[in-house]
Amino acid sequence: MSYVIEIDHLTKSYGKNRGVTDVSLKVKEGDIFGFLGPNGAGKSTTIRSMMGFLKFNQGSIKILGMDSVRDREKILKEVGYMPSEAWFYDSMKVSEVIAYAAEIRGKDCRDEAEKLCERLKVNTNKKIRELSYGNKKKVSIVCAMQHRPKLFIFDEPTGGLDPLMQRSFFELIGEYVDKGATCLLSTHVLSEVNKYCKSAAIMRDGRLTMLDCPNIDDDAFLKFYEDEVEI
Amino acid sequence: MIRIFLKELKMNCKSLLIWSLAVGGIGLACLLLYSSMEGEIKGMADAFSNMGMFSDAFGMSTLSIATIKGYFATEVGTVHGLGGSMFAALTAAGMLSKEEELHTGEFLYSFPVSRKKIVLAKSLCILCMIAFFTLICTALYALGFALLGEEIPGKEFITYMAMQFVMDIEIAGVCFALSSMFSKTKIGAALGLALIFYAYDLMGRVVPDLKDYLFIGPFSYSNASDIFSGTDLSVKALCFGACLTVICVVFAFIHYNRRDLSA
Repeated sequence: MSYVIEIDHLTKSYGKNRGVTDVSLKVKEGDIFGFLGPNGAGKSTTIRSMMGFLKFNQGSIKILGMDSVRDREKILKEVGYMPSEAWFYDSMKVSEVIAYAAEIRGKDCRDEAEKLCERLKVNTNKKIRELSYGNKKKVSIVCAMQHRPKLFIFDEPTGGLDPLMQRSFFELIGEYVDKGATCLLSTHVLSEVNKYCKSAAIMRDGRLTMLDCPNIDDDAFLKFYEDEVEI
Repeated sequence: MIRIFLKELKMNCKSLLIWSLAVGGIGLACLLLYSSMEGEIKGMADAFSNMGMFSDAFGMSTLSIATIKGYFATEVGTVHGLGGSMFAALTAAGMLSKEEELHTGEFLYSFPVSRKKIVLAKSLCILCMIAFFTLICTALYALGFALLGEEIPGKEFITYMAMQFVMDIEIAGVCFALSSMFSKTKIGAALGLALIFYAYDLMGRVVPDLKDYLFIGPFSYSNASDIFSGTDLSVKALCFGACLTVICVVFAFIHYNRRDLSA
């Protein structure tokens, strides 16, 4: 069995504040992995550690068989990342941002970008500052997908997208996964996990619990959130 | 890396033009006033050169503002020194921190480019911007001399502009280190730093106890009055400035590579 993501006993703290504690996680090749949990549970900390934005205290992360610290550049060539908040340089046009993202990767992604923009109805002539939150998210999706990466990491990707775009987004993920890609999806939306994910885990209080099956019911899911509030 | 460098240059182009034309333009306007003030200045020159500490601080005890060299050194020298240092400070102070402040960091750092290369691209951008700034201002001042029909004091003029370039690099280096430490751009601190360096040089020229420590400030080796009056450049001050610049830039590389980036 080949694993695309292997996180081993990851611990990250922010001074005295908890980040994540002893998180271990494996994601199989071709999986669509749902990453659930309340706000502040540690999902973004885990993802940001994987991306190399954060320097973690203990543990190790392997992505596509490579060490996340030592081989960061090689890994990022094969990763398409979409942050929870899509921010770009305001003065640039959408077409410039998309071209810039491709050029830094040293790839000609024009055909794929055009296809994605058409599917997601992205107006490439607008300036970034003219875009709504949802439209910025769509640009972020194009930037994450246009180079056809082996691994997608999405942090709450569907916030701000209308239902039609949400469907298009998951259709696109399905198509890329059918071609061999893997996807890790952080979300608050249980129905997305139930409908699209093959496996899932829930984070709470900086710790991770693997789910036997991604199809959990609403009551069991909400229990995690209620318990969190009590804490 | 070259793509990041070009993008930074393009994004900072407007700011570069505004600062260059503003500082260079004010300097040019000052120079052009020389012809209309020439007669009156002659009468004031003696008074200005005998004002004790004030004359020392502004270099009017060693140069006569009735001459074009003296006028350029005291008037344009102050405008360019202050304007250039503020431009360098502001440009460098935001170069790294703006990515986190404007939340574009997650976009930029998700590309397969190491942080070291990003810092290198941004530091080269600062270097180029200061070089362009100095060149534009130099061209405008040279135009001023030409319009006045005065001969450019070649050696002193080139030395002065070169030393101003070095000084701006030093101030930018210190502010670049600041930029690597914070996720918010410290505009006040950067401008304050440039003004403190300027004030330190002014004080150092009038307070006898400070004179031995004047070399610490970057304005010491780039002082227009010293250069235009033929005083030898302070090698000690230049070496200190070079060391401080290297230390600050190396610090920025190391620290930025090690720290967590906020969302």
